[in-house]
Amino acid sequence: MTSSPAHRIDTPIVLDTDDDDAQLTDRLLAPLRSKSKVWYALLALSGAGMLLFVATSVYTFVGGIGLWGNNIPVAWAFAITDFVWWIGIGHAGTFISAFLLLLQQDWRASVNRIAEAMTLIAVFNAALFPVLHLGRPWFAYWLLPYPATMAVWPQFKSALPWDFAAILTYFTVSFLFWYTGLVPDFATVRDRAGSRGRRMIYGIFALGWRGSAEHWQHYRIVYGLLAGLATPLVISVHSVVSMDFAITQLPGWHSTIFPPYFVAGALFSGFAMVLTLLLPVRRVFHLEEIVTARHIDAIAKMLLAMSWMLIYSYVCELFIAWYTGDPYERYIFLQARPLGPWAWLYWAMISANVLAPQLLWWRSVRLSPLALFALSLVIQFGMWMERFIIIAGSLSRDFLPSSWADYRPTWVDLGLLFGSIGLFLFAFLLFLRFVPFIPIAEMKELRREIRGTA
Amino acid sequence: MTGNRQPFEHSAVDDAGRVTRRDFLRVLGAGAAVAGLGACVEPPRERILPYTARPPEITPGIATFYATTMILGGFGTGLVVKSREGRPTKVEGNPHHPASLGAAGVFEQASVLELYDPDRVRIPRPREGVGGWDAFARDFALLPASGGTEQGRGLHFLMEPTASPLTNSLIERMRTLHPAVGFTFYSPLAFTGAMEGARHAFGRPLQPVYDLSRAAIIVSLDADVLDADPFCLRYARQFADGRRLRSRRDAMNRLYVAESAFSTTGGMADHRLPLRAGDVADLAKALLAATATPEEIRPAMPLLSQPTPDGPMASWVRAAAADLRAARGQSVIIAGAQQPAVVHAIANALNAILGNIGTTVRFIEPLLPTESPEHALATLAAAIDAGAVDKLVILGGNPSGTAPADLRFGERIRSVRSSAYLGLHHNETALDCKWVLPALHYLESWGDARAYDGTASFVQPLIRPLYDGRSVDEVLAVCGGWPTTNAHALVRELWSTQPDFTVLWARSLERGVIENTASPPVSAALDWAGVLPVLAAEHQRAARDSIEVTFRLDPKVLDGRFANNPWLQELPHPITKLTWGNAAQLGPDTAKRLGIETGDEVSIAFGGGRISIPAIVVPGHAEMSITLPLGYGRSGEERTARDVGVNVYPLRTRNAPYILSDARVRGVKPGSREPLAITQGHFTMQGRMIAREATLAAYRADPRTIAPAHEPAPSLYKPAVKSGEQWAMTIDLSVCTGCSACVIACQAENNIPVVGREGVLKRREMHWLRVDRYYTGAAGTARVISQPMACQHCEKAPCEYVCPVNATVHSPDGLNEMVYNRCVGTRFCSNNCPYKVRRFNWFDYGSGIPEVLWMQRNPDVTVRERGVMEKCTYCVQRIRRAGIQAATERRALRDGEVVTACQQACPTRAITFGSLDDPESEVSRSRRQERSYEVLGELGTEPRTRYLARIFNPSPDLTV
Repeated sequence: MTSSPAHRIDTPIVLDTDDDDAQLTDRLLAPLRSKSKVWYALLALSGAGMLLFVATSVYTFVGGIGLWGNNIPVAWAFAITDFVWWIGIGHAGTFISAFLLLLQQDWRASVNRIAEAMTLIAVFNAALFPVLHLGRPWFAYWLLPYPATMAVWPQFKSALPWDFAAILTYFTVSFLFWYTGLVPDFATVRDRAGSRGRRMIYGIFALGWRGSAEHWQHYRIVYGLLAGLATPLVISVHSVVSMDFAITQLPGWHSTIFPPYFVAGALFSGFAMVLTLLLPVRRVFHLEEIVTARHIDAIAKMLLAMSWMLIYSYVCELFIAWYTGDPYERYIFLQARPLGPWAWLYWAMISANVLAPQLLWWRSVRLSPLALFALSLVIQFGMWMERFIIIAGSLSRDFLPSSWADYRPTWVDLGLLFGSIGLFLFAFLLFLRFVPFIPIAEMKELRREIRGTA
Repeated sequence: MTGNRQPFEHSAVDDAGRVTRRDFLRVLGAGAAVAGLGACVEPPRERILPYTARPPEITPGIATFYATTMILGGFGTGLVVKSREGRPTKVEGNPHHPASLGAAGVFEQASVLELYDPDRVRIPRPREGVGGWDAFARDFALLPASGGTEQGRGLHFLMEPTASPLTNSLIERMRTLHPAVGFTFYSPLAFTGAMEGARHAFGRPLQPVYDLSRAAIIVSLDADVLDADPFCLRYARQFADGRRLRSRRDAMNRLYVAESAFSTTGGMADHRLPLRAGDVADLAKALLAATATPEEIRPAMPLLSQPTPDGPMASWVRAAAADLRAARGQSVIIAGAQQPAVVHAIANALNAILGNIGTTVRFIEPLLPTESPEHALATLAAAIDAGAVDKLVILGGNPSGTAPADLRFGERIRSVRSSAYLGLHHNETALDCKWVLPALHYLESWGDARAYDGTASFVQPLIRPLYDGRSVDEVLAVCGGWPTTNAHALVRELWSTQPDFTVLWARSLERGVIENTASPPVSAALDWAGVLPVLAAEHQRAARDSIEVTFRLDPKVLDGRFANNPWLQELPHPITKLTWGNAAQLGPDTAKRLGIETGDEVSIAFGGGRISIPAIVVPGHAEMSITLPLGYGRSGEERTARDVGVNVYPLRTRNAPYILSDARVRGVKPGSREPLAITQGHFTMQGRMIAREATLAAYRADPRTIAPAHEPAPSLYKPAVKSGEQWAMTIDLSVCTGCSACVIACQAENNIPVVGREGVLKRREMHWLRVDRYYTGAAGTARVISQPMACQHCEKAPCEYVCPVNATVHSPDGLNEMVYNRCVGTRFCSNNCPYKVRRFNWFDYGSGIPEVLWMQRNPDVTVRERGVMEKCTYCVQRIRRAGIQAATERRALRDGEVVTACQQACPTRAITFGSLDDPESEVSRSRRQERSYEVLGELGTEPRTRYLARIFNPSPDLTV
């Protein structure tokens, strides 16, 4: 990665340390050796959440979707909201690691692996929900295009097989991309490993990396190609997920703005999640010089930009609904959402997604980790509410008033949501413990670029 | 039955290799439950033989149909019942029977489930001691062939009034042989007001029979004639025939209704006047004064007050009077069954004056006892107190649960030394009696019945009695100690005196009606001498600022007798859409006055009784009046009925069984009760043109304003070429009353499960066909329009392209097909259905129900498992069966050969079904009508179901 030094004089500092290579490596490997009590406590807590998820999933498999709060007309509610929310969260990871790589933005170096791991776990989490919400999940494989003895293929005009393909692709490419970047760092851990066992395990994962020039050349090419493959996924995957709704007729779903609107929303909640994860990690592991104020500032600015894309989408929707004169569209956007039975949810969402991010205009907010952390939680909650309002809210007030009905989640719905958060945290904590979460090779490269070849 | 090795003990084949029909039917009936389940039954290791020697008319897999009669409220309705493998599964109407005309209402449709009710009484048993019919006979039977005036003193029968010739002949025989035996007839379904009114007007009690097909003007004084009348299926058809416009030039009748509760008849009214039930007498007087000329009512002039000059009542009376005067001989005034005799007398007087008698109304000799049932029961209560009753035999009904509260009848039953109850359930009466005897369901019985117009028909069984039951006739015979106690023999014995009996017997069983048995009309001449006293008498009504309370039979459970039928409990009330319970119905202003809203409670006290019942606001309900539906809050041992809803009988007293003027009513907020299980919470159309209606004048002026011309939406695709049958349906909103018979018919035909109260509260009801009810008009003059809504079988179905696994596809003959075994349950199809007619199996609704209920299931329709979607199929099983039949006979299907379940049940023939490839089929012709339209047609779904906009016929003198 090269950029002219002149360009960098005015920009804030991306790497603020005097460490040399060895010191940098030690510093970045230190978290893998720490025995933090906080980590164990959080692992236990999130483990409990994960068990809750497992318990409610098994309960659902055994007992049926009737254990949830869904009904007709609101046939999709919490589970699909959770699905879209988690997939959306994943997008920021790929944006940072792939998109920003192609745009040659150096500041991605320190944060991209955390972001990408976040993506992987979020996508995995998300992929569980479409299977869980099936009435007959033991036949979920029928959505796969395989040559069946029944000679029946999936119905490809439906968005759900597209979802399936998109998520599978996204997970595969993200995983390969993330893993490719990890190979040199696994090799570093292997080389610095204390015990034989550790050396062997990390050695297996390092795939025999020796750091030769040939290896590095292959590395560059593959990494670049995967970045190229992953970049369009940032746009396409959530566009496809939004098609789950946009291809239908339902007022509130049937809108051509959905693909860009959902992608913007995904990036919005994804960046918020990056902050939620990054700020504590940075603080706990004393990495303020590696993940500097520049990074935080940049992410905060992305957040603000995304919020304005979202505001534009909201305004667009409202205006078009009014402008078309279609009574069903008008009812949903101008009546049911802001004034209906879930108006409180709608206005909470507006506060969280429209009003709260405007605080980011102030530099002091952008540079305050505490404020950003709080804001990131608010934004993620706001994005969850937005999904819920779109999905369940539109279903509950559709064409024929005779079928209007409301929805109440059951404890199983809530258990799955909070359980999935627990599952996410659990996996993330394991990631922090066993995988070098700041890319060592890339940081060393960046250091050399900034300081010259010393 | 374990479903494993030897499912049943008896083989269908006896040792000589012969099969008896009875055994075959019985064994098949039991075995089919196992076979129909698809349980993997391995063949037994012993040698088995196939069903080669079987009754010629039974082929497993092919249904047979038998005509029989269901008796309700004493009157019979002829039915044709479908039998599969020896067990009845579906009830249809009998086109030859005057009370049915081919239709079957909610009670008739649901009766088949009652046959298989797991809570039925099974064996005759006393509270202590040895059970069995012989033991019962020892205790209760009179010594045979010994007459004498004292024989049988102390033996008393309490039964429901019935018009059945056999039962009445047995009663006669008992009275002749043993005059000391007492008979009392009580039923909350028996109304004697009409006969009283006839006695006043014509000098003797008579029964009115209407012919609405000849009426251009119909005035209903609190009479739910289309839905709550023994002859309502017929009246509904006659009424509909007078409204079914085929073109703009057709004539239409006009219906005026004045009522307190909102009934389906009121929903069809062109002019509906909400009025307290107690004020209807005043309205009747005003109507009489306004309609007849002074000459015609001279004797009564001083007694008829003038109505107030303004107000809705006055304008209603004026318009009705004008129309009645112009339609002499072609009009009819009908008084409500629960109205006092004065209203009936006035109605009779008006009909007589207008020359309607002989055309739109005729009178026949009463077929039921003329004594008021409450009065009869009071007499019996006094007799019990006096010690005159030693053995009380209660044949059917539920007097402990339904008697007037001030008679404390349950206590009195318990005080009788020996008592027996013959019934289907262990209800309140069974718990009070010493003996409980299993009754026979009509589908297991022999007998006979008379319809409301006197037409007689036989009751023949479709299945051998499931349990050790006897019919009412058989128990009378047992008690009489007579040699013949078998109903088959008894009914043959009675009718054998008819000429040409063998032919009559065979023909009547085949057709379901005994010809030429309708009661002849009798002359009825108005005699003012009888009318004046009742006109002059003060009648009780609630004070202007106090709230009256009326008791109504519930349109689903009636007086409570059907409360254990889960289909009927889950059927949404036609107007309130309430399920699994009752609520006090009241108008919006009254609710405001009491300070409550829907879901809060009202507390009502009268006499010694007090009840607390949730309230439901019904726009259009008369103000200062509360309607209490009877039949809920049951306290017997029936598991489905127990504690569902609130028992309102404690307020119902002998002197005020229908209208209560002095109750104390209080609003209670917030209610302590659980929420009301309503299936439709939003009842306006929000300005959307879903259920279209227009006045006749507007329709005649420009039909295009009512229904937009249909143009298919532009498409990128070439239009599909279709050949062969193309199924379609039309529903005429002008004649749909909202009675919901179609809903129960669909449930019976398609094995639709019941989800229970909790399921309805979560909005998971499974009805494939629902009846949407919208209120239109202003609050004070609210009207109701009912719209049956099922899968529209869209040609461009939104559900089809969103299913990820091809579980919903389109057939070449136009059906949107649901493939249960491919569905993975993503529910995407439901999201994209704009009509929301798809249903999902949230749980395994089909399992966990008592096995005996499996026998009702239609073997032609899959029972769906958890996790799959389902919806209306246009009764594809019927289409395919007809198609196979036609193919076997190498011919095309005829128009009208395929009839869907909903279409067949509908009393007003609102549903038309057929193929579009025949341009002259009924459904093709109906689509060409100017008032036909598609619901949500603007979405481009191209539904195969179209609706005919409702045209109503308001008087030009009254603004609507």
